Amino acid sequence: MFFQEPIPDTSGYMIAGYVIAFIVMGIYVTSLYLRQRNLNQDMAMLEELDKPVSKVESTEPKPKKPAKTVTKRGRKK
Amino acid sequence: MAVKPIRTHRRVPSPPKGEGEGLKTTGGLSSNNFIKAIAAIVWKDLRAEVRSFELVSAMLVFSLLVILIFNFALELDIKTRQSVTTGVLWATFAFAGTLGLNRSMAIEKDRGCLDGLLLAPVDRSAIYFGKAISNLAFMLIVEVIVLPVYSILYNINLFQPGLLMVILLGSVGYSAVGTLLSAMSVQTRTRDILLPILLFPVVIPVLLAAVKASGGFLEGVDIAEILLPINLLIAYDIIFIAVAFMVFENVVEE
Amino acid sequence: MKSKPLTLKILDIVSVVLLAVSAYIAIFVAPTEAVMGDVQRVFYFHVGTAWTALLGFVFTASLSVVYLLTKDLKWDRVQVAAIEVSLVFFLITIVLGSIWARPAWNTWWTWDPRLTTAAITELIYIAYFMLRQGIDDPDRRARFGAVYALLGGISAPITFFAIRLFRTIHPVVIGGSNAQAEGNFSMTADMRTAFFFALFTFTVIFIDLFWNRIRLGDLQDKVEQLKLKVTS
Repeated sequence: MFFQEPIPDTSGYMIAGYVIAFIVMGIYVTSLYLRQRNLNQDMAMLEELDKPVSKVESTEPKPKKPAKTVTKRGRKK
Repeated sequence: MAVKPIRTHRRVPSPPKGEGEGLKTTGGLSSNNFIKAIAAIVWKDLRAEVRSFELVSAMLVFSLLVILIFNFALELDIKTRQSVTTGVLWATFAFAGTLGLNRSMAIEKDRGCLDGLLLAPVDRSAIYFGKAISNLAFMLIVEVIVLPVYSILYNINLFQPGLLMVILLGSVGYSAVGTLLSAMSVQTRTRDILLPILLFPVVIPVLLAAVKASGGFLEGVDIAEILLPINLLIAYDIIFIAVAFMVFENVVEE
Repeated sequence: MKSKPLTLKILDIVSVVLLAVSAYIAIFVAPTEAVMGDVQRVFYFHVGTAWTALLGFVFTASLSVVYLLTKDLKWDRVQVAAIEVSLVFFLITIVLGSIWARPAWNTWWTWDPRLTTAAITELIYIAYFMLRQGIDDPDRRARFGAVYALLGGISAPITFFAIRLFRTIHPVVIGGSNAQAEGNFSMTADMRTAFFFALFTFTVIFIDLFWNRIRLGDLQDKVEQLKLKVTS
């Protein structure tokens, strides 16, 4: 152990390794973020679609059974 | 005791109507029913196969072609051939096996046999064992034919009892897992393509141990060394048959 | 959708900080290894991700059992999250392992037990997602996924031990009996610090990503249900 060879310079590999590790993690986090954002947008849009239906129903005069005006739901009935 | 065998596999088979006792009863859980159900399924598959030979012939031709391809792919001179033989054999069996598994399950599903079987008052796992045994049978038939062909083509005597035992053990493990996975893959959109993707990573211990053990037998290695992979094969078989047995219900229920 | 719980927000920040610190320690503080030089430093991240992904894998297999017993779709979402994060971590493990192998043993890949099993496990995970993709019914998707994850979870360790019984050139850094394993190095105290710190870091990051992914799955589920409600 007295005659030690000089330590090989493998720093290039090291940098490549770390860069890749960070990139992969970065890509994953980004994908999580993007998916979350898209889902939130979908959610907002769906809630919009859902709202007018319930809004219309609540502003109607309290219905007794007869002749409901044609609402989205009404068509279903 | 005779359970009437299903006449033809073209019709949707009604649940195996026994003239004998057994399957008519509502409680399909006694072991007698269980065995009868398994036997009925195996018998149905074998009879269907004898009529058409579609599974075995396809697997056989495919195996021979694979061996042919390996011949050109590997440039086997006499020396290399010895060490590579078991690998080539098992690769062949693995690939041909997926053909058989795919077709076997596809036939069940497409012809409505699977639904018919599910309606029968029979424990779900009987269906599993029945299919697994018939898949195993087809695989063994193909192997039994491929072995002498390979022996002749490459001038290697493959008919050693040790080797045959390894082939049997390996095929059991392969069929056990393959039947379960093919029951799943046949219900997906991607079907046939999916089975090898699902099967191969999971079945690697079988290939590993089988190649090691087969190689050991062919080279006449000390029995102590071969014992290890053989034990692994046996352990794998037992574990996965048990797991498949417990889990199969989840795979076929609606 | 409920906004992010404070704990999670804190965890996010903590994860990032830990990652940065860990990288710093690994690159600048830990001593340089004598035989293979700086590339050895990837080892800290390599083992960090490997270890957590492995735990994730075992956790996944047990989730399969839980789901099959309870049939509660919540567990399915948890399982998907666990597998997805473990998949990413194992990918890092494999790539770093390969990068380490090149200068250390002059080969991009070694067919030793750990790398090989990692690759096989990765393939099992990918197959898991391909299986799920081919099924539309959420209940069936969950069941099949659970079954396959269970099979994979049992098979992969068997594979590992099988390969190990036959050959290895993977460095066994913390105790090991195989004299032929090249690239061994014994860790000094500083290295050990970096090592355990990285381990801790990646555990935290795993939990953070895992939690986030579960929330994503829950959100997805809500959107699906709302979609059904609106279009019906």
